[in-house]
Amino acid sequence: MQPCWFGDVDDGTCIPFTGDAAACARRIRDLRTGRDAIVPVDWQQAVACGICHDRAEYLALLQNVCIAGSEQAVKEQYAAKDVELLQMVRTLDEMDTVVNLLSERVADWYQIRHPSFSRKYRRTPAHVLVKSVGGRGGAIGKVAAGITSLADTRTALAKEVSGRACEVMPNTSALIGGLVAARLLSQAGGLKELSRMPASLIQVLGARTALFAHIRTNAPSPKHGIIFQHRRVHNAPRETRGKVARVLAGKLAIAARLDYYRGSAVPAFLEDAQARIDRSGASEEGDQS
Amino acid sequence: MIRLNGILVSKGEGGVYGERTLEGYRVWDPYRSKLAALYLVGKGIDLLPETKVLYLGAANGTTVSHVADYVEVVYAVEFAPRPMQDLLEVARRRKNVMPIMADASRPEQYAPLVEMVDLLYQDVAQPDQAAIALANCAFLKPGGHLILMLKTRSVDIRKEPAEIFRDTLDILISAGITVTESTWLAPYHQDHAAIVCTR
Repeated sequence: MQPCWFGDVDDGTCIPFTGDAAACARRIRDLRTGRDAIVPVDWQQAVACGICHDRAEYLALLQNVCIAGSEQAVKEQYAAKDVELLQMVRTLDEMDTVVNLLSERVADWYQIRHPSFSRKYRRTPAHVLVKSVGGRGGAIGKVAAGITSLADTRTALAKEVSGRACEVMPNTSALIGGLVAARLLSQAGGLKELSRMPASLIQVLGARTALFAHIRTNAPSPKHGIIFQHRRVHNAPRETRGKVARVLAGKLAIAARLDYYRGSAVPAFLEDAQARIDRSGASEEGDQS
Repeated sequence: MIRLNGILVSKGEGGVYGERTLEGYRVWDPYRSKLAALYLVGKGIDLLPETKVLYLGAANGTTVSHVADYVEVVYAVEFAPRPMQDLLEVARRRKNVMPIMADASRPEQYAPLVEMVDLLYQDVAQPDQAAIALANCAFLKPGGHLILMLKTRSVDIRKEPAEIFRDTLDILISAGITVTESTWLAPYHQDHAAIVCTR
């Protein structure tokens, strides 16, 4: 038996499928055909089936089904929990870049209008300076005020991202914090993709340049990518950092799989993983890896 | 293929992606479309009014819209939701474009929709491009043609493009497919090759 979009064809006989385009599309999505069983559709059979009278009608009906099916598929993809989080965290990281760039620019600008030679002024960080300039008049004041408000939005967004990450990926977030978990998700391109990554790849996610330098030439391999942002990694002494990153990545790989396939926090795993990661940062002799 | 003073064009309703028009024809830009580039640097396969096309990696539907201007029907397969939204817009304005949201490496997913085609066109950014083409040859009628736009940088970034080109040709030939033309798409597209075959 060969399933077609207009019905099931079996040795010349055909059972037409009755239903509108959307129902038709849903039926095709649920069909599970084997790889070897690919038989192209014969449009003449649709005529024999009584679905349509001629080629033009066949194509028109088929197009309705195709459009309905693709619309369903797009909606389904967008409804996944991680898709919005992906956009949120990417917006957040781009806002960071913009705020920093503009702050530096305004600081330079301000120095030209008010040249100062005292140490205090030269030592003032850009973001502090921007705040003080914000109250003043003129274009520079407006730009500075804009930056300040953008920075506030950024802080609010960061909170939302971290909250959403705890919902979407409870285990990963518990291990590494909502923000860093969301960044891992953004680099991987989705929760499904992240859950299928080996730990060694999660360890170096975000260290693309260093990784390819390592593969191409004989540069040393990167020890950590985004996970460096977690305090356990960057607070670890230099010589154990690689080890902490490796253990953490291993647990993250498991956590991501739990998040994707189970979707809820698993306290037993988390406790165990936290203890294991803490141990990896401790003294050499107490280590079991 | 229609050319006006050496410029490749197609005849159809304009305004799909802001393309220029020339004497009522839509200009087909070789810098944007690899298929247009193939027609300029090589021979390619002529698109006829009765041709049926299975187009893998349809993206936003810009090249699809030009192909649809020439042929009877285009089955356009695209995987990502964002470009699919643009492709759906193209399909709503062209009766012969069938948008299919599916993974080109899983042809069984769209087998209930697609009929036997004369031309299989593939432009996907995947590492196993030859395997995808071979899997989809199930839809290609005997004597039909395959145009494979090889994105060498998607196959393996560490290898030389020329090496990947050779390897891909070997895979296709050992699978019993006759390669009739193979060319690089420079100067229009860097590190992209076109392989034209007959089943």
